[in-house]
Amino acid sequence: MEMERRIIRATWGYDGNLEPLCEVEDKEDEILVTFDLPRVRKENVEINTTEDTVEVMAKMSDAICWERWGSIQKKITFQAFRKQIRLPEPIDQEKTSATFKNGILRINLPKVRKKVFIPIE
Amino acid sequence: MEEGVITIVEEEGILHKHPIVIEGLPDVGLVGTIAASYIVEKMGYKEIGYVESDLFPPVMVIHEGKLENPFKIYGDEGVVVVLSEVAIPPNAVYPLAGALADWFNGIDAKLVISITGLPAENRMDIEKPEVFAVGNNEEARRVLKDKQMELMEEGFIAGHYAMMLRECYKRNLNAISLLAQCFPVYPDPGAAASTIESLEKFLKLGIDVGELMEKAEEIKLKARDLMRQTALSAPEMQKSAEQDLPIMYR
Repeated sequence: MEMERRIIRATWGYDGNLEPLCEVEDKEDEILVTFDLPRVRKENVEINTTEDTVEVMAKMSDAICWERWGSIQKKITFQAFRKQIRLPEPIDQEKTSATFKNGILRINLPKVRKKVFIPIE
Repeated sequence: MEEGVITIVEEEGILHKHPIVIEGLPDVGLVGTIAASYIVEKMGYKEIGYVESDLFPPVMVIHEGKLENPFKIYGDEGVVVVLSEVAIPPNAVYPLAGALADWFNGIDAKLVISITGLPAENRMDIEKPEVFAVGNNEEARRVLKDKQMELMEEGFIAGHYAMMLRECYKRNLNAISLLAQCFPVYPDPGAAASTIESLEKFLKLGIDVGELMEKAEEIKLKARDLMRQTALSAPEMQKSAEQDLPIMYR
């Protein structure tokens, strides 16, 4: 999959949330989603899924504050990452799993779609 | 500014003594950008010039209220560091590599070292990224073997550093690329640290990467938007070719 499709546009909000960099890979039997979550501890990560979305909320261990930042020219503080992704196809919510290591969250989302073997006559 | 031309603007009176050039332009994992910025900071190199072109985005940077060019050249008599705070547009890759190679030739560079990354699918499970190297001619490959660098033997390389190797080859300039295993679309200070440690084999700068690792999370946060811009231009750079298997006929 091309990188352009793998990265979700990162941005920020006045609500104190940053959108994390993330990558979605459509594998054969599953959708693999990773998030880059610096300054986040495992216990502060919350993941919610529906059949076709995954949402991550992650509180930073300490807030970051930028003074007179960019175009807004005032102090802005971010405390958390938040991002919802619409998945390319339905997933089996009961079989999802996640790991978190060195600030990278990896979520494995098995697809509902089942393979059917076709015999050749 | 001449249309479609890359211009290297150097401050007057800079003396070069057969320098080693370190290039750190935005690419996968921002490995080169992070490494080059850290080297400049730790060595206290002064800004000695900048690169301008109408092929680059019409962007300037403001640091502490001061207007700065985003594509800068730092260094001293023996070392030149080239780095950019903005992504390189794909249509600028060929003319940029040519213009820089001409300039490196003009300052009689001893060796051109491009620092970049090599996307690793299992990067999350790698504690210390390995560094691989590519040389552009026999002499460069001999140097890499002497320094016991792990050589990349087969495969495709794509992007600015690939063209840099070629343009230096055309001008009989020795050039190498150092590629650290990295996250493709996340800023990777750990990979940058590995390249700085490898760089020590070529240039005794004595840089401790401890602070780079301590500040890794802060760097990742600050580098998010440059990473996003860089990743968006990756398809046009044919970066996916680096994952392709080359045809084997030998």
